[in-house]
Amino acid sequence: MSWLARIRNVFRSNAVSRDIDREMEFHLAERADQLAASGMRPEDARREARRRFGNYGLLKERTRERDLAGWLDGCAGDVRYALRGFRSAPGFTLVAIASLALGIGANTAIFSLINAVVLKSLPVKHPEELVSVTRDSVNLFTNPLWEQIRDRQDMFDGVFAFGEADFNLADGGEMRPTDASWVSGDFFRTLGIRTVVGRPILRDDDRRGCGGVVVLSHAFWQNAFAGDEKIIGRTLALDGHPFQIIGVAEPGFSGLEVGTYSSLYVPICAEAIIRGANSQLDHRGSWFLRVVGRPKGEQSMAELRGRLAGIVPAAVAATIPEHWPPEGRANYARAKFGIEPAERGFSDLRHMYSKALYALMAIVAIVLLISCANVANLLLARATARQREIAVRLAIGADRRRVARQLVTESLLLSGAGAVVGVVFAAWGSRLLVSMLGRSDRIVSLDLSIDPRVLAFTIAVSMATGLLFGLAPVWRAGRVDPQAAMKAQGRGVVEGHTRVSLGKTLVVGQIALSLVLIAAAGLLLGSWRRLLTLNPGFRRDHVLLVNVDMRPARLPAAQRGIAYNEIVDRLRTIPGVRAASSAQVTPVGRSSWNDVMHVEGFTARSEDDAVAWMNAVSSGYFSTLGIPVLTGRDFGLQDRPGAPRVAIVSQTTAQKFFHDSTPIGKTFRLEEGRGLGQPIEIIGVVGDTKYQSLREQTAPVVYFASRQDTTLGPGTYFVLRTDAPPTAIIPSVKKAFAEINPRISLWFIPLERQLAESLTMMRTVATLAGFFGGLALLLAVIGLYGIMSYNVARRRGEIGIRIALGAARPRVIRMVLGEVGRMVIAGVLLGVLLAFLAMRLISSFLYGLTPTDPRTIAASGGVLLVVALLAAAKPAWRAAALDPVAALRED
Amino acid sequence: MPKKKNDILQGTLALLVLKTLGANGRMHGYAITSHIQQASGDLLRVEEGSLYPALHRMEQDGWLRAEWGTTEKNREARFYAITAVGRKQLALEEESWARLRDGVTRVLRYA
Repeated sequence: MSWLARIRNVFRSNAVSRDIDREMEFHLAERADQLAASGMRPEDARREARRRFGNYGLLKERTRERDLAGWLDGCAGDVRYALRGFRSAPGFTLVAIASLALGIGANTAIFSLINAVVLKSLPVKHPEELVSVTRDSVNLFTNPLWEQIRDRQDMFDGVFAFGEADFNLADGGEMRPTDASWVSGDFFRTLGIRTVVGRPILRDDDRRGCGGVVVLSHAFWQNAFAGDEKIIGRTLALDGHPFQIIGVAEPGFSGLEVGTYSSLYVPICAEAIIRGANSQLDHRGSWFLRVVGRPKGEQSMAELRGRLAGIVPAAVAATIPEHWPPEGRANYARAKFGIEPAERGFSDLRHMYSKALYALMAIVAIVLLISCANVANLLLARATARQREIAVRLAIGADRRRVARQLVTESLLLSGAGAVVGVVFAAWGSRLLVSMLGRSDRIVSLDLSIDPRVLAFTIAVSMATGLLFGLAPVWRAGRVDPQAAMKAQGRGVVEGHTRVSLGKTLVVGQIALSLVLIAAAGLLLGSWRRLLTLNPGFRRDHVLLVNVDMRPARLPAAQRGIAYNEIVDRLRTIPGVRAASSAQVTPVGRSSWNDVMHVEGFTARSEDDAVAWMNAVSSGYFSTLGIPVLTGRDFGLQDRPGAPRVAIVSQTTAQKFFHDSTPIGKTFRLEEGRGLGQPIEIIGVVGDTKYQSLREQTAPVVYFASRQDTTLGPGTYFVLRTDAPPTAIIPSVKKAFAEINPRISLWFIPLERQLAESLTMMRTVATLAGFFGGLALLLAVIGLYGIMSYNVARRRGEIGIRIALGAARPRVIRMVLGEVGRMVIAGVLLGVLLAFLAMRLISSFLYGLTPTDPRTIAASGGVLLVVALLAAAKPAWRAAALDPVAALRED
Repeated sequence: MPKKKNDILQGTLALLVLKTLGANGRMHGYAITSHIQQASGDLLRVEEGSLYPALHRMEQDGWLRAEWGTTEKNREARFYAITAVGRKQLALEEESWARLRDGVTRVLRYA
């Protein structure tokens, strides 16, 4: 009760003050009356009354503290006082808040990404209850296996399967690829996701032979249909097939794959509509579904696993892929099933993202430390100027703890202001970062709204920051000797060395941390540059890739290869196209194709050892991309269906499988059905190329003639070499395809951009490291400049004497620069030690450089030293230009 | 330096105030000061102002109740009265004072 009253009093503290004055004035008046009554003159009586009363101000303050929640009122006072101080030093305040905002904002931005990618729960009903069924390490299921589990389980209240899908919404012209999800009948019910319009997908929608229905995500509905409620019942073309729109999901839900925004939800059974004869619904080797359930009642993970183990053998036995070879079937039967929590959803990208995000988190944490050191240095400089003020306060009886509290309040205010600005900066920065992670064929979508976890993080960081940099001035204030400080007339001689050595220590620390960041930035940017400029085995410039969806042409699979070759001939006639070809797989693209090679005389060390990467191309592919044909010939018209099957292999394939650089005429086989297919003859050897990623070790690649291939899918790439910039011929290409069939849809990307986008993560990490490295350098230099300017000013007298006694000016300059050099060298040495420890965090991003690459680290040290000496040039010059007479007269 | 005789021993001020109010009912600060001085035969002199932080603390602790009133000279003053909690505290303080006094006396006698 009394606490409440005291806290309440804080908010009427003026009234409390007035009351105390009234009470004390009464006392003084009574005493004065009494003294006057004993014969004193009224003025004397009043004076004597005051003398007897004691220190009015102090006693009033103490009384007030009794009435108020003293700390709280004190804080209010401290805050008012601090704000007054900040107003009178706007430059200092601005620099301090800006550098803190940058540091705290960067940390908040990266943390909110980590939160979104790794920590956040799914925005569904009771996400903590959800579990996923796992199978070995891949955790994907085939549709037959899923149906078995669904029909046999009795452990879940609701269980569903879902898989990633993407559909082309365009009906001819440029493709409109859209991320979507296959979902089973209980998907919406189990997750507790409602629809704002229409109805969700229900169990009856997901029966074999179903019609096409689709539920839209809220954002897709807003963007594509402007939130039109009459949309229900209308149709949407998915890959050219009509689907009926039945509902719109509630806002905020974007599927269970973190980082991917699923715009459409389609029942799994509708896969048969999209893929027709190629449907995977009965395919026992097509792994594309994840299985998630909400257990009945309270069951432990162990109980759930036990019950799952009860149904797995029968489910597996019913779905064994019979066409597989015996060891494959044995592996299938051996797979281990399990139950894992699924509260935070799924993400193929999570692992990759989190590595990058943790590295960035470390980088921004270091930036924040450097900004702390900077602000600490600024505060120290201010504290020196305020030494006299603090001395006066101590001398008239202020409690040292009280002074310390006041200083801490200032620090916390600064960091608080930094945090507020930082959060704004973070909201912008994290969005920018997410857009940097996106690619032209893949938009990264993350829920970056600030949740309590991010808020708590920011508050904790800013408090810790405030205390961290606030400690320096507090520590110093604790050592002010009022008497000495007053005597020194505020010239800052007192404790001067403490100030300098503490400040110097901070600068050395800043330089050490900056070195770590600059070296990290150097390593990452160097690796990125190496990846961008390495020779991938093909020419990357002036190449346009055209991804074509040929389904509307309704070609039977057997005729596609020939049709693609005919289209290539047509594309060659477009003005500005120097060479054209088709390919099923493009270098470092999003699709890949591999298979096990069977070669006589080659024994694989493991299953993976026999794998080669495949492609089916038209003639002219190698010349279009500038891949050298080393021996043999390119594919030609003679390689038609029915003729002996032929292949061209890369140099590495030839060496690895045939131990021969010219294996022309030799053969190999691929698995087909239950056995091996026909022998395939090698007709040429070409240079090695990167296949899936620029980082990969050179892998064996095998090319087939698309003209011969009777199993090609309806999607393919055309590869065009152009005279002008590749995007310039897009209109002519569109026109050519429109003449073939106006409903064919296309998607374009220059090869150069495809390669660059494969390095998106690397680019993001490297650019940010570069940015923060530069920032660190700037902050460290500001710190250094500040301390050297201060140092020279402090030593004016001493330097004046030296000059008066005949010290040459170059000598003075050397003296100042020497001091800087010593600090930098100490910082660099310390930084190298730190770098050795810290670089492991980024080692997985490096390419062609070791984490402790001596040249990079030496160069970073060199940059620091040069920049530091430049920063010190002005103070050094000022020292040398000192007029000794003027300097000495001051003292 | 010998201490001045009129310094009130730390912690005894509360006892003196409680006793004064316990015996005399409602009083304002000035009256309490005067009463302590007179009752002690001028041996104890409170630094007058230091009474107020003590009064306010005791009020916050619930030992005293305070209200504004008017004196006979028609001046506004803050009057204090002891509460039930204050009376219990008074008993405790008296007891502990007695122990202290006895202890000190014995040491002075025998040491």
